[in-house]
Amino acid sequence: MIVKYLRRAHLAVAATAVVGALALTGCVASNPGGTEADGATTSSAFLTIPREDMGTFSRNFNPFSPNAAPMTGQSIYESMLVYNPAGGDTVPWLATDWEAGSDGKSLTFTLRQGVKFSDGTELTSKDVKLSVELQKELLGGYDYLKSIKTPDKTTVEFTFKKAFAPALYELGQQVIVPAHIWSKFDKPGNEENPTPVGTGPYTEIANFQAQSFDLQKNPNYWQPEKQKLGGIRMLAFAGNDGANLAAISGDVDWTQTYMPDIQTTYVDKDPEHRHYWFPTTGSEINWQLNTTKEEFSDVRVRKALSMAVDREQAVKVGMSDYTVPADCTGLSGNYDQWRDASVVEKCDWTKRDLEGAKKLLDEAGYKENAQGQRTTPDGKPFTFDISVGSSSTDWLSVANIIAQNLQDVGIKATVDSPDWAAVTAAYETGEFDTGIVWTANAPTPYQYYLNLMGSENVKPVGKQTFDNYHRFSDKKADDLLNKFVATGDEGEQKQVINDLQSLYSELAPVVPLFPGPEWGAYTTENFVGWPTEENPYATLSNRAPTTVLVLTNLEPAK
Amino acid sequence: MSFLFRRLGFYLLAFWASITLNFLLPRLMPGDPVTRMLSRSQQRLEPQQVDALRTMMGVDGGPLIPEYFSYLGRILTGDFGMSISRFPTPVAEVIASQLPWTLLLGITSLVIAVILGNLLGILAAWRRGGFLDSVAPPLLVFIGSFPYFWLAMGALYIFGINMGVAPMRHAFSVGLVPGFNLEFILDVAAHLFLPALTIVLVSLGGWMLGMRNTMIATNSEDYILMAEAKGLRPHRIMLNYAARNAMLPSVTSMGMSIGFIVGGALLTEVVFAYPGVGYQLLAAVQGLDYPLMQGMFLTITAAVLIANFLVDLVYVRLDPRVRKG
Repeated sequence: MIVKYLRRAHLAVAATAVVGALALTGCVASNPGGTEADGATTSSAFLTIPREDMGTFSRNFNPFSPNAAPMTGQSIYESMLVYNPAGGDTVPWLATDWEAGSDGKSLTFTLRQGVKFSDGTELTSKDVKLSVELQKELLGGYDYLKSIKTPDKTTVEFTFKKAFAPALYELGQQVIVPAHIWSKFDKPGNEENPTPVGTGPYTEIANFQAQSFDLQKNPNYWQPEKQKLGGIRMLAFAGNDGANLAAISGDVDWTQTYMPDIQTTYVDKDPEHRHYWFPTTGSEINWQLNTTKEEFSDVRVRKALSMAVDREQAVKVGMSDYTVPADCTGLSGNYDQWRDASVVEKCDWTKRDLEGAKKLLDEAGYKENAQGQRTTPDGKPFTFDISVGSSSTDWLSVANIIAQNLQDVGIKATVDSPDWAAVTAAYETGEFDTGIVWTANAPTPYQYYLNLMGSENVKPVGKQTFDNYHRFSDKKADDLLNKFVATGDEGEQKQVINDLQSLYSELAPVVPLFPGPEWGAYTTENFVGWPTEENPYATLSNRAPTTVLVLTNLEPAK
Repeated sequence: MSFLFRRLGFYLLAFWASITLNFLLPRLMPGDPVTRMLSRSQQRLEPQQVDALRTMMGVDGGPLIPEYFSYLGRILTGDFGMSISRFPTPVAEVIASQLPWTLLLGITSLVIAVILGNLLGILAAWRRGGFLDSVAPPLLVFIGSFPYFWLAMGALYIFGINMGVAPMRHAFSVGLVPGFNLEFILDVAAHLFLPALTIVLVSLGGWMLGMRNTMIATNSEDYILMAEAKGLRPHRIMLNYAARNAMLPSVTSMGMSIGFIVGGALLTEVVFAYPGVGYQLLAAVQGLDYPLMQGMFLTITAAVLIANFLVDLVYVRLDPRVRKG
C-alpha cells in the first residue's frame, strides 16, 4: 500500500509540470459567473493567502506546536521584536527597548505600554516569562538561560550562564502567549488552542473549515490604525498546482509558492497589478563534502571541486535564474550587512576555473590517468555520489549540472536521488559522499558558521548529528565563535565575523552554491503597501516573523 | 450459514494480519518522525529541540514488543493517539474532519461509474457488433488510458478556466457556511461535478469492458439458448438470465473499490484542491506519522474487509452455488 501511494506522489510531481505548461498557454481567467464569485461582496476586504503545503487545515493554534495552523505565529501571537532580513534592521514590537548587560550575561527588555491581548487583558512581563519557560520546556533550546526576573509589569530581565550574543534575537522573536490562560493548561504541549487569545492584529477565527478559514480583527489591538484589512482568509491546497492556479486566476492576493517562469505565467497576465520579488535572503544552499572521507579532508580537493562548478549555469538552469551565484564568504543575502568586501574581492575558489581546478588536483595527488580520469593517490578512480532528495526538482537539476561540470576535470560523479528521508538519514549518520544541503538562517551568521566550522555538533560517523553533517571543525573557528558569543559590542562582533569569513574562505569547509531565494508574489488589485526592493521593510514571506509587518502595512487599494 | 461463519473467521484473521503489518511497515522505514520533521523544516527547528520534541510527541522509540501490545490495546478501544504531523490534533479528529468529503466524492463517482459502466456493458454485449459495441469500448478505453491528472487538468482548464462554468477548487465556495439548506447543497453539488466526472470518465471503460466480456461469455451459454427457445422476452433474458450471472465479477471488484475509497483520491485532491484524506495520507507517509498512518490504514483495511463481507452477502443472494460451497 505504501508503495502504491509513493508512486502516486511521483505522478503528483509530474502533474506540476503539466500545470506549468497549462499556465504557459495563457490561462488567465476573470472567472465569469464562477461560483467563487458569490463570496465576493464580503471577501473583497479579505487578504487571501493560499497554503500549498496543507491539503486541509486542522484547528490547532498552539504556537508551541511544530505544525500549528498558518498565521498562528504571524497574526495571532507577536514577539518583542522583529528582525527583518531584507533590510537588515530590527523593529521594536511588543518591547520598546532592550539593553544588554556589560558582561553580555544579561538582557533586559522594556515592554510597550498599553498592549492588550484580544480578550482585553493587559500584556505584562509575566506573560513573557511564561512564554519563554513554555518554549524551553516543550520545544527545548534556551540552554544558556539562568534566570528570568520580572521586577515590574513592563520589565523582563534575563540572565545567562555564559555570555551569548545571539540571545537577543532568540528571546526577542519568541512569540508571547497570555499567562492567565496558558498557566492553567495541564499539558500545554497537547493543547489545540482552538480559540486563541493573542496580541496580534487578526486573532479572531471565523468559519473554520478543512479547506479554508478566516481571521478577523483583534478588537483590542494596540495599533488599531494599522488594522486596515477586513480580515485574512487562508486557503488550503494539496500541492503547488492548485495554489498557483488560484494565483494566476487572481483569486489570491499573496503567494509564496514556487512558480516556474513567474514573469510569463503570473506577472504578464496583469502587469499593472502583479509583482514578484525574490530577495536572496533565504538559507545558503551548499554542496557539502563528507570531510571524514580521505579525499574530502584535503582543502585543495574541496577548492578544486568548487572551482569546477559552473554556478552561473546552475543558477540559470537549475534555479530559473531566481538567485545569484555564491561568493567565497558563503553568506547569503540575509547576512549582507556582515559581508566583508575585502574577502569577497579576493575570492578565487568560487568562480569556475578549470585550469586552476586541474592544477590543485594535480598538486593534491589526484592525477589524470591514460583515459583522462582522475585517480586518488592510491590509484583508484576518483568517483563519488552526489545525494539530493528526489522531490526537490530544482536542486536535482543543480546536482546534475555539477556532475556534468566535474566531467570536465576528469571526475565521475553520480547523482543519487532517493526520498529526502533517506538522504537526511544518511547525512545525520555521516554515511554519504557528498550532497546538496540547506543551512541555518538566523539574524547573525554565528549559527551558520558554527554549523559549518565549529566542533560543537561534530559527531563520529555512525552517530546521529543534526548539523554539521559534513563533520568539519577547526580550532581557530571555535575560538572565534566563542569570542563572538562573549561580546556584546557590535564593532567587535563585526570584526570576529570578518575573521570568520576569511577563515571560511581559506578552509572551504563546504562548497557554497547560491543563496536560497525567498519567494513572494502579490497583486495590488485589492491591497497596496507591499514590501519591495526599494522599500524592503519585510520579505514577501507569509510565514516568517516579518509577516506581521506586512499585515500591519497593507491597506485597501483605492 | 456455515459459509458466512467461515468467511467471518477468515476476515478476523485477515484483519489481525493487516493491523500487524500496519504496525510493522512504517517502523521499517528509515528515520523517525522527529528527524523527518526537522529535515523538512530545513533549519526552522533547532537540533537542540529534537529530544524535547520526541518527549512531547511520545516517540521515544520504546522496545517493539510492548509497543505492539499497547498498540493492539489502543485499537480495540478505538484510541489512535495524536497525529505527529498534525500534533497535537488527535488522529480520530484528523480523519473525521476529512473523511466525509472523501466518501462523498468516492461513493458518488463509484456508484455512477458502476451503474453506467455495467449498463453500457450489458447493452453492448446484447447487441454485439452494434453501434454501441463498436464505438463505446474503444472510446472509453482511450479516455481511460489518459493519465488521470492530465485529464483532470484538461477538464479544469476547459470548464473551469476557459468556460468558467465549473468552480475551480475546494468542496464548496469559500466563505459559505455549511448548513442543511438548498444553497449549500447546490454549491457542494456544483463543486463535486468536475472531480466526480473525471473519476467516472477514467474508470468507466474498465467497468464496461469487464461487464461486456463476461456478458458475451454468458450469452453463449446453453441456458440462454434455452430461455430464448422458451420464448421469454429478450429484455427478461438480458437482465435476469445473462446479466445476473455475468455480474458476479463486477460485484467483486465493486467491493474492492468501495473499500479503497476511504484511502482518498490523491490526484483529484491535488488538481481540484478537494479536501480529503488522500493528501493527508501521503503527508503522513512522508512524515513518518505512525499514529496517523496506522489510523488511516486501519480505516482502509476495515473498509475493504467490511465491503468484501457485504459482497459475500450479496453473492449468497446472487449465486445459489456459494450457499452450498
